[in-house]
Amino acid sequence: MTELVVTGLNKSFGTQAVLEGVDLTVPAGSLTAILGPSGSGKTTLLRIVAGFEPADSGTVRLGERTVDGDHHERVPSEQRNIGYVPQEGSLFPHLTVAKNIGFGLARRERDGQRVDELLEMIGMSGLGRRYPHQLSGGQQQRVALARALAGRPGLILLDEPFSGLDASLRTSVRADVHALLHQTETTALLVTHDQDEALSMADHVAVIRRGTICQRDTPQGMYINPADAELARFVGEANLIPGVFAPTWVKTPFGNLMLHGALNGSARHDPDTPAVVLIRPEQVRLQPPGSVGLGLPGRVLDYRYHGHEAMIRLAPDAGPDDLVLLARAPGRIEFPPGSSVSIVIQGPVVAWPAAPDDELG
Amino acid sequence: MATAPRATQPADGLRPVPRGGRPTARAGRTGGRSWLLFGVGCLIALAALAPLGFLVLEAVQDGSSTLRPLLFRRLTASLLWNTVSLTAVVTLFCAVIGTLAAWFVERTDLPGRRIWAVLVVIPVGIPDFVTSFGWKSIFPSIHGFGAAALVMTLAVYPLVYLPVAASLRNADPAQEEVARSLGLGRLQTFWRVTVAGARLAILGGCLLVALVMLSEYGAFEILGFRTFTTEIFTEFLVGFNSPAACALSLVLVLLSLIVLAGEGVSRGKGRVSRSGPLAARIAHRHLLGRARLPVLAGFLALIGLALGIPIGAIVYLVLRGGHSTLPSASILSAAGHTALYAAAAGLVATLAALPVALLSLRHTGRLPQAVERSIYLVLGIPGLVIALALSYFSERYAAGFLYQSATMLIGAYALMFLPLALVAVRASVAQAPPRLEEVGRSLGCSRLEVLRRVTIPLVAPGLAAGFCLVFLSAVTELTATLVLIPTGAQTLATEFWAFQTNLSYSQAAPYAGLMILIAAIPSYVLGRWFDRMPSRSGTAA
Repeated sequence: MTELVVTGLNKSFGTQAVLEGVDLTVPAGSLTAILGPSGSGKTTLLRIVAGFEPADSGTVRLGERTVDGDHHERVPSEQRNIGYVPQEGSLFPHLTVAKNIGFGLARRERDGQRVDELLEMIGMSGLGRRYPHQLSGGQQQRVALARALAGRPGLILLDEPFSGLDASLRTSVRADVHALLHQTETTALLVTHDQDEALSMADHVAVIRRGTICQRDTPQGMYINPADAELARFVGEANLIPGVFAPTWVKTPFGNLMLHGALNGSARHDPDTPAVVLIRPEQVRLQPPGSVGLGLPGRVLDYRYHGHEAMIRLAPDAGPDDLVLLARAPGRIEFPPGSSVSIVIQGPVVAWPAAPDDELG
Repeated sequence: MATAPRATQPADGLRPVPRGGRPTARAGRTGGRSWLLFGVGCLIALAALAPLGFLVLEAVQDGSSTLRPLLFRRLTASLLWNTVSLTAVVTLFCAVIGTLAAWFVERTDLPGRRIWAVLVVIPVGIPDFVTSFGWKSIFPSIHGFGAAALVMTLAVYPLVYLPVAASLRNADPAQEEVARSLGLGRLQTFWRVTVAGARLAILGGCLLVALVMLSEYGAFEILGFRTFTTEIFTEFLVGFNSPAACALSLVLVLLSLIVLAGEGVSRGKGRVSRSGPLAARIAHRHLLGRARLPVLAGFLALIGLALGIPIGAIVYLVLRGGHSTLPSASILSAAGHTALYAAAAGLVATLAALPVALLSLRHTGRLPQAVERSIYLVLGIPGLVIALALSYFSERYAAGFLYQSATMLIGAYALMFLPLALVAVRASVAQAPPRLEEVGRSLGCSRLEVLRRVTIPLVAPGLAAGFCLVFLSAVTELTATLVLIPTGAQTLATEFWAFQTNLSYSQAAPYAGLMILIAAIPSYVLGRWFDRMPSRSGTAA
């Protein structure tokens, strides 16, 4: 259990600034996901923490030790006591599973109990003599994790470790990894571009954008209360609707909607200024037309059925002509395209002052 | 949320930083070590291109007034016709035979295909001049274009077979099924899907065949067919006419470079890629049915002609010779010299290939690319030309220093076969991506320990393969050896050639036999190693 603290980190390649003033804290024993699109600098951040790249300026502290800092000698990777799980697993192809897992252990431990213990932990007892190419992708990834955990590292770094797996496998391997990390109480930093992965696995999510961390929050906080419209769209699906601020609510084509934090007074905006309002698809409730309620009329544009749920695109009668709302509904009711429905927005919403040239959609 | 469709398209503002600045593992190294690598790489590239430079220098010094009458004469035209027409015919034959043989072995229920797969490849391990020697000793009257076309086709078709067989083995069998489902017949499917899919492999094989044809000397000399290479050799060693040899060499190099460039152009932008993992499933084998017997007969004939005749001739000659012609200790000393020179060349070429491979795999940019390309350009410079260029250099600028010394012969071998070494070394360096070294470091191993426990175990087989490849090629090299052989020393090839030239066939045969023995076993091992490469890189790492 080691705390990771990154402060004021800068890094550029040639003239290209990749990281600019990154601050990040990963509390001991917790998992933080760095979420960002490809090229946002998230992998560079991970590689600097791992010690594969030097920072230009700023500090990286692991527990009590500053491993990379302006006035400190840089600690090489092998002395940082970290575990690293790269994207492709990168198992050593010339070594068996057991030898891979034992790679970082002292010589006398390599054939011993610790390796068996780890094999059992990842549910692969008896497969220690296989070679990496004889394993499935999910197994390879679990071996890579066991190898990283073998030396009981203070911090484990996961670089998009699930992106090479197919969708069904990804969910289960993710769950396994999450359980293992929890069980071993290892501090972990996970880099990913998959918001689903970040939200479902992490204790904290930090979104990185153009080389800086623009928000760090719990998964719930990140999803419900993103810092700006751009983030809202990055973390999950979002309806961004024009509105106008009022003291504790916003006026929208769907009526007056209560603002998040209105009750504790944290939502303060100048009344009568234009706003961008975030409505998550699951906040859009649909009722068959004619049912009792206060809904606004609208028309179904299309209907995508996923079994457990359905995603529906709607054209509300109110509001600008090109306004389209995305709604998430339980899969048991069908809304055929073209049918009329009534729309109700549930729960408080988040809104930001609209920039003059803000494009909505 | 866990069930949300993956709405991860970044919103407009979350546009990625342009890719140039991204620290991929390739560009990760900076600092002093990489400058050293760049420097060494450039030096090796310069060394590889030096012979071409000397040649041009020599031509410039001789001046156009000397060169023009040497170049623009009837002889040049007839040599050009001989060389080009024979190269074209043999390349075409090899393409057809190599592709068909590969298809039958890899894709049909040909009986005994495992044995055929081995037998069909062996002729590539027999030096071309030995093959033609075998034919000549059995049929003393064969001569000229037809003989050269026949013998060379039989000697070099495996150069097409090998890449095509590998490509068919790795191709996606579903493509043929899709073609059939789209209404194409068997023949159409074969032509438009199977052959088209193996196009790059066929082209690559044809390129090698054409380059071998342009640089071959011994076989054509034995069969009495004049090409540029035989003429250059005669002008230089017999006529001592070095301006003429130089002028003709320039034309020969030009031809080879045209072949290299032509292959590049016809390759075009077309790429054969597949979406799934390699060899996702075993291809369904076509049933030969009634064609089985004719195909078997064809294979028997091919092996009989390509393998039976040369081997049979040598065995017969050795047996018939009996004690009187059994070579004395000289064959041992020749074998010793051969092995020594070849091993030294293998070592030098492999060591030189290593920095180039590292440079091209771990660094991006123009310079690493240029370095790598200039090494492959050496493929287009016939061994004889390299040997001539080196001897010009020593004669003109170094007062004969190193001329006909072991150092120069080894250097020439190493240069000639550097591209071969690079292919093997590059493949093995690719087996040890920097990511693996980083994982090793993160697990607490120092740089040295990572080198010992990760990099060397992964790269070593490829280095060994590169060494073997160069070793084998040097053992069976004749042309450059004849030019550069150190005074007083003999190799198997030069001894063989001396006896062969005196028509002492029985005395020449044991040398040929020993060369084949030395070359055959390692070629087989090497073949197996290269076969394994794609699947290893496809699944591991």
